[in-house]
Amino acid sequence: MRYFLIDQITEWKSGEFIKGMKNVAMSEDFLEFHFPKNPIMPGVLLLEALVQLTGWLEAASSDFQRWFLINRVIKCNFYSFALPGDQVELEVKQISGEGSDIKIYSGIGMVKGKKKIRAEFEGEVIQLSEIEDVNEQKRFFQLLNRELVL
Amino acid sequence: MRFLFYDRVEKIEKGISIEGVKSFALSEEFLRGHFSKAALVPGVILIETMAQLLGWLIMYSHDFKLAAIMTLIEDVKVSSALRPGFKADIRAEIVSTSKRDTLGRAEIRSDGELIASVDRIIYSHFLKIDPEDLKERFRYYSGLKI
Repeated sequence: MRYFLIDQITEWKSGEFIKGMKNVAMSEDFLEFHFPKNPIMPGVLLLEALVQLTGWLEAASSDFQRWFLINRVIKCNFYSFALPGDQVELEVKQISGEGSDIKIYSGIGMVKGKKKIRAEFEGEVIQLSEIEDVNEQKRFFQLLNRELVL
Repeated sequence: MRFLFYDRVEKIEKGISIEGVKSFALSEEFLRGHFSKAALVPGVILIETMAQLLGWLIMYSHDFKLAAIMTLIEDVKVSSALRPGFKADIRAEIVSTSKRDTLGRAEIRSDGELIASVDRIIYSHFLKIDPEDLKERFRYYSGLKI
């Protein structure tokens, strides 16, 4: 399993918000054990999707200088199950911390207008170059954003 | 990838608490992409680690007659930059439980140092399950002779 919880980025505004999608497929590895005979997208992976979307917003807002790592969940509700075949529409907004290394974001995930997850979380902004090749990450963003198509 | 985030249950006390261990290895599947220049255990995986163990305590405490699924977490702290190669000691406890739901809390320590904690975690209970199947799975997953 490649730990990529975002399939597409549809809209973003520097330092403000970002929207993206995660498609849940029956072929996902994690569904074999979560749960046996009852495939349900793990709630924490929906949270991870919001966190990764936040990372993309930090990167896109800083010419790929920054990324985001979660270290606190203030509150996170899991309302109902995201199931194989569902397309989860995700949105993350910056709440506070502009210009600081510690930021608070809030995120929401919906399937066909129905809320699946809502989370408020805090994390630290780190240097992207410490964890990823900056040019590769920029290219990946263009793929997610459909700016780069063969 | 087997979505199981404990290796063994070491101690379980019905209706009260559970203790288990999980060793984080460089071979973990979730490190593919997290990240290419630094292997960092994702904070949400530490949350799942606590949630899975507490989930089993709830099901064990109710004689496997229900499945417990996490619906809320609050006041969670996770270390964000842990490199694999450590053993996590997980401890979780039930604060209150009824037929419908359970409130609990949990923490993870490594070499005695706190690396993750959740102050409030709520599970909803689901009754459409096969108790024997659930019990069999717990026996296999936990390593306990129950």
